[in-house]
Amino acid sequence: MPGPASKKEVFLTGLWKDNPVLRQVLGICSTLAVTNLMVNTLVMDAGLIFTVCMSSLTVSLLRKYTPMRIRMMVQTLIIASYVIIVDIMIKAYLPDISEALGPYVALIITNCIIMGRAEAFARHNPPLASFIDGLGMSLGYSLVLIAIALVREPLGFGTLLGFRVMPEGFVQWTVMIMAPGAFLTLGIMAWVWKYFWPQKEEKKG
Amino acid sequence: MKKQALSVFYMFLITLFFASLVSAVKVLSEGKIQLNEAIKQQRIILRVLQIPVNDKAPDESVIRLFDMRVKAIEGGQKTLYVGYEEDGQTVQGYAFPVGGSGLWGPIEAMVGIDPQATKILGLAFYGHSETPGLGGRITERWFTDQFTGLPLRPIEGDQNIFYLKPEGTAEASNELDAITGATITSSSVEAFLNKELDNFLRNLWGQIERTK
Repeated sequence: MPGPASKKEVFLTGLWKDNPVLRQVLGICSTLAVTNLMVNTLVMDAGLIFTVCMSSLTVSLLRKYTPMRIRMMVQTLIIASYVIIVDIMIKAYLPDISEALGPYVALIITNCIIMGRAEAFARHNPPLASFIDGLGMSLGYSLVLIAIALVREPLGFGTLLGFRVMPEGFVQWTVMIMAPGAFLTLGIMAWVWKYFWPQKEEKKG
Repeated sequence: MKKQALSVFYMFLITLFFASLVSAVKVLSEGKIQLNEAIKQQRIILRVLQIPVNDKAPDESVIRLFDMRVKAIEGGQKTLYVGYEEDGQTVQGYAFPVGGSGLWGPIEAMVGIDPQATKILGLAFYGHSETPGLGGRITERWFTDQFTGLPLRPIEGDQNIFYLKPEGTAEASNELDAITGATITSSSVEAFLNKELDNFLRNLWGQIERTK
């Protein structure tokens, strides 16, 4: 591990430099699935921010007591618990959105960003830094999702957050509603991002 | 050995803690979740029975209206909802759930029938996992509203009760617009709804007639 980084650095690394979607290419499944509507995207973001922050915090709090050999089990348990709580809350208080998101909320469990942060950061670092790392990473994820939704919803539905933004008579791009539209948008975004902010490939151990 | 026992004990404690936490949240929200689902169901039933209810009407008034105008009869396989007119005596129609498999998962709908079982009063979809913006458009009013008034008679030979045709080509009174770009969803709706309506007319309707 490199030496202790400042909290601001940790936050910015997740948000921008090591952006989980564009740089680490994690959490792609949900990125592709929910970004055709901005409302769904925002709820997914909120769910992920809560889950990553809380699970990183919890994993970090328990890091000195958790036996090495069973740490994955413990992490999965922690992550699953928070995700189920999010799922229940959305079902109880946002029933319409719960319906729109369908199984994707429960699938936050399998979002690699969460386990990735628990393994790569939270189990070596103090609670506050882990929380900030989770916040940076999940906000980085959210930013990319919002950017994709900003392209997909107007082109696919002619609306943004349900309000019509495209002129009358605009022909909706069906491809933007489907998965291929998400692949195209994400691919172009990752390309532009890597073109303008190139980074030397690090050797992964 | 001691280390292993410690791991097991640690895992046990952690599991106990988180399982309790999740259970507590679940127990505390259970009532609210069930209420949400029940009200959603009631709105749908009122809608397909053509009992007017505002989309923005508060939950309490929906429950009150439902209690006054609808009676549920538990059947062998499915529940039959009987809708009454404002006097509470005259039958306004019957509603029952129908369903089948769509492109990504099951599609669930509620269909309302007039008291003589000659036509459809209304149709509404309440559960599906079709593609948003394509098959997901089955819940839009332009699609479901075209079923209102559809004449009913049992399927004879290869003559279905209704057909979904590509948008703009529907001509006969039993031809309705399908959803463009959602061929599989459209054809599965056509298939299961024809089957379920036929089933209702042949079986359940006879039972209702006899009890009259």
